[in-house]
Amino acid sequence: MIMLEVKGLHKSFDSNKVLNDISFKVEKGEVVAVIGPSGSGKSTLLRCLTLLERVDRGTIVVAGDEMVRTNSENYAVYAPESSLKKIRLRMGMVFQDYNLFPHFSVLRNITEAPIHVARISKEEAEERAFELLKKMGLEDKADAYPYQLSGGQSQRVAIARALAMNPDILFFDEPTSALDPELTGEVLKVMRTLAEERMTMVVVTHEMGFAREVADRVIFMDKGQIVEEGKPQVVLCNPSNDRTRAFIKGLSER
Amino acid sequence: MTYDWDGFLNLLILLLEGAKLTVMIFFLTLIFSIPLGLIVAFGRMSKSWIIREPVKIYILLMRGTPLILQIALVYFGPYYLLPEGMKINLDRFAAAVAACTLNYAAYFAEIYRGGIQSIPKGQYEAAEVLGFSKIQTFMRIILPQVVKRILPPMSNEIITLVKDTALVQTIGISELFRVATVQSSAKSSTIPLAVAGIYYLIMNWVVTEFLQRAEKKLDYYR
Ligand SMILES: Nc1ncnc2c1ncn2[C@@H]1O[C@H](COP(=O)(O)OP(=O)(O)OP(=O)(O)O)[C@@H](O)[C@H]1O
Ligand SMILES: [Mg+2]
Repeated sequence: MIMLEVKGLHKSFDSNKVLNDISFKVEKGEVVAVIGPSGSGKSTLLRCLTLLERVDRGTIVVAGDEMVRTNSENYAVYAPESSLKKIRLRMGMVFQDYNLFPHFSVLRNITEAPIHVARISKEEAEERAFELLKKMGLEDKADAYPYQLSGGQSQRVAIARALAMNPDILFFDEPTSALDPELTGEVLKVMRTLAEERMTMVVVTHEMGFAREVADRVIFMDKGQIVEEGKPQVVLCNPSNDRTRAFIKGLSER
Repeated sequence: MTYDWDGFLNLLILLLEGAKLTVMIFFLTLIFSIPLGLIVAFGRMSKSWIIREPVKIYILLMRGTPLILQIALVYFGPYYLLPEGMKINLDRFAAAVAACTLNYAAYFAEIYRGGIQSIPKGQYEAAEVLGFSKIQTFMRIILPQVVKRILPPMSNEIITLVKDTALVQTIGISELFRVATVQSSAKSSTIPLAVAGIYYLIMNWVVTEFLQRAEKKLDYYR
């Protein structure tokens, strides 16, 4: 089953063409890593997919539901807000700088949306939150506030918060870029577990080890285009495109 | 010669009557201007200039002219502006509360705006992706954080308001300061003024205590 289908996506900021004819598919249970140099449009792509930005042109279908398509005049037409609301609930997003709600405890960070958006009971939401915290190795942090957490712990709470809404697909925008190397490991470990459970994930990352070992597919982006796409061993170890090769070489030399 | 203690007690009671009006004007102004300020802040931040520009002018007028003048205008203005035969006399007290409310709403609006704009964009985005509606995002995620951030500047304004109520005497309201000046000249004594000063101090001590407690209550997060 295809969880996400993207066709001919275009997005400009003023005259700056940031996404130029992006097309790809993500199967259910697949982990896709998106890599590429700074400014290549990776974040913008995720922001378009999660409805934080609107595209100029293109088609996005999430689990069979059309979010946006291109009309005959070549303009993006979005589904009505009521449909978008439903589609939004199928997608989760984990940000580079966590964006936890500082005034809520860890528990409430996780339960607020299930209670007030998905409208499940408080008891049920809390039960599920504790399960997720356990999975994240944070059982003892339920009553802590975000300022009391390390970066790695914050990011794991953010992942739990996204998972609490039971999304069909989870997007990560450089989830470990703000973390020290020691803390990066604990976040990647959680993401690895999710991958083993066949959670569908699209991960923008600079962690080549993670991309190589966990991703089913790697997409290399440059200047708003998908330059190369394929199995991690191929894209990361034996790329056919010059730009990919230069990027990978640059990373390994750092 | 013994001191006229009865007279002094009388004075305390007279001034207390004035203080009652002062307290009422203070509370009513707060009750109306705190929510009105929020509406003004939204107007000030509106994307549409038809809303934003008039609100900017309103804020400029309120902050750029003396409150004492605004009080006089709100009270006397309608009388002079209305055509012959339709002239009404506004209630002094209502005019005073209205003028103070309009003035303080402008100051509060700018404080709110600063607070709202200081909340990182990521908070809105995280809430949006989780599916919160715009109203839920504001009420549950943004506003509580704004309240914590604006409490110190709001405290400043609120303490100033206690003292600014003295300005309403200009339209003949017998609030604390007016009672004190009347007594002072009648008795050729500065004691009524000194007592009024102590009354203001006590009011602001209570207000400060309350605001500090509120700040402490929000200390649980950073
Ligand atoms: N809101 C915006 N307004 C204007 N330009 C923007 C906006 N967001 C992104 N851009 C521009 O779009 C281009 C791509 O940015 P984007 O953040 O998507 O890149 P990225 O691949 O995520 O880079 P990085 O690896 O540094 O995170 C950049 O040139 C950036 O300046
Ligand atoms: Mg980015």
